[in-house]
Amino acid sequence: MTTLTDRYVYAALRALPEQQRPDIERELRGSIADAVDARLEAGEPEEQAERAVLTELGDPVRLAAEYVDRPLYLLGPDVFLDWWRLLKVLLAVVLPTVVFAVVLANLIAGTPAGGIVGTAIGIALSVAVHLVFWTTLVFALVERTAPEKRGLAPWTLERLPQMPTAKGRLADVIATTVFAVIAVGALVWQQFSSVFTDDSGAPIPLFEPALWSFWLPYFAVLILAEIPIAVAAWCTGRYTTRLAWINVAQNVLFAVPALWLLFTERLFAAAFFEALGQPGLDDARSPLVAVITAVTLGIVVWDCVDGFLKVRRTGPVRAEAV
Amino acid sequence: MDDDLLSGHLQELRRGTVVLACLALLRRPGYGYALLESLDQAGFPVEANTLYPLLRRLEKQKLLESVWNTDESRPRKFYVTSPDGERLLRALLEDWNSLTTAISTLREGNEQ
Repeated sequence: MTTLTDRYVYAALRALPEQQRPDIERELRGSIADAVDARLEAGEPEEQAERAVLTELGDPVRLAAEYVDRPLYLLGPDVFLDWWRLLKVLLAVVLPTVVFAVVLANLIAGTPAGGIVGTAIGIALSVAVHLVFWTTLVFALVERTAPEKRGLAPWTLERLPQMPTAKGRLADVIATTVFAVIAVGALVWQQFSSVFTDDSGAPIPLFEPALWSFWLPYFAVLILAEIPIAVAAWCTGRYTTRLAWINVAQNVLFAVPALWLLFTERLFAAAFFEALGQPGLDDARSPLVAVITAVTLGIVVWDCVDGFLKVRRTGPVRAEAV
Repeated sequence: MDDDLLSGHLQELRRGTVVLACLALLRRPGYGYALLESLDQAGFPVEANTLYPLLRRLEKQKLLESVWNTDESRPRKFYVTSPDGERLLRALLEDWNSLTTAISTLREGNEQ
C-alpha cells in the first residue's frame, strides 16, 4: 500500500537530479520515520503523526529545491536590473521601428486606413510579447547556468546619468532651432522648387498655394515661436509649468487648424498627388489622411506630456550647477 | 511593536547562528533528526526543512563529513565536523566574541 510518506518522497525526488536521489531518499525516509516515532512515543495516533510530520516539512518540491540550491524565482536580484534595462531599450527601439515599417508598407500597398491601424496594433502587440518572452527566457537561463553573475557588466561610476542641467537644455535650444529652420525652409522650398513640375515647367507645390494668404505664414510663425520658448527655458535654467502650458497652447494652435484644413481637403494641392500618380490621396477619407491625423495627434499629445515631464525632471535643479 | 516585524528582525539576527551551532554540536557525530532535537534543546530552534538541506550544503562545502551507519534496523546518515569545519567554527566563534565585545561597548557608551 502506498503511504503519504511514499507519495511525499516520490514528489520530492522527482524534482532532484538522478544521481542524488538514492542517498537523499534514504536520509529523508529515515528522518521522517524518526520524527513520526517521536510523535508516536508522545502518544499521537499513527496516521495523525505522519500527517503532522509531512505538513511540517512543507511543499516537497520546495524542499527538493533547497537540497540542490535551485533558485525558486525566475530572475534573481543579480540579473534583474540588466533584464529591465535591456527590455526597456528593446521595446523603445524595436516597437516604433516595426510599427513604422508596417504602416509604411501598408500605405504603399494601398491598404485602407482601418486595416492599417488594426494590422499595426496587432503586430505591435505580438512583437512586444515576443520581445518580453525571449529576453526573459535568456535571462532566466543565465540565472540558472552562470555561476558568477554580479550583473552582466560591472557597474561603474561612468554609468551614472547626467544631471538635467542648462547644458542639456542648450542642446534643446539647438535642436529646436535646427528643426524650426528646416521645417520653415521646407515649407518655402516646396512652393518654389518641388520635385514635380507641370507642363510649363513650373513647380507643383505639395501644399495648396492659396494658403499662403494666411495659413502657411501662420504655421511658419508658430514653428519659429518654438525657438524663444527653448531659449527662455535655457536662460531661466529650468522648464517651468508656465512654459509647459505655452507649449500646450502652441501645439493646439498648430494642430487644430492643420487638421481642420486637412479634413476639409484644403491643405494639400490636388495637382501634387496627380503628379505623384496617386490622385485622390488628399481625399478626407484616404488612408494618408488617417495616418497623418494619427501621427499628428500622437506627436501633439507626446509633446504636451513631455513638457510637463521636463518640469518634473528639472524642477528643483538650478542652472548654476554647470 | 508589530509581531511580524519583531520576528522578522530576530530571524535576521539569528541567521547564520544555526551553522555555528551545527558545526559545534557535530564535533560529536549525529544524524538529522537527533541533531534537530539537540539544536532545539540547545536553544537554536530550526525547521526540519531548513536543517536537512543545510546539512547537505555544509557537506558539499566539505565542512561536514558523513558516513552511513547501517548497524541498526534504520540506516542513518551520520555527520561529523571536518577539519575544515572545525577551522570555520573557530573563526565564527572568534567573530561572535568580537561582536559581543562590540555590542557591550555600544551599550556602555549609550548608558553613560
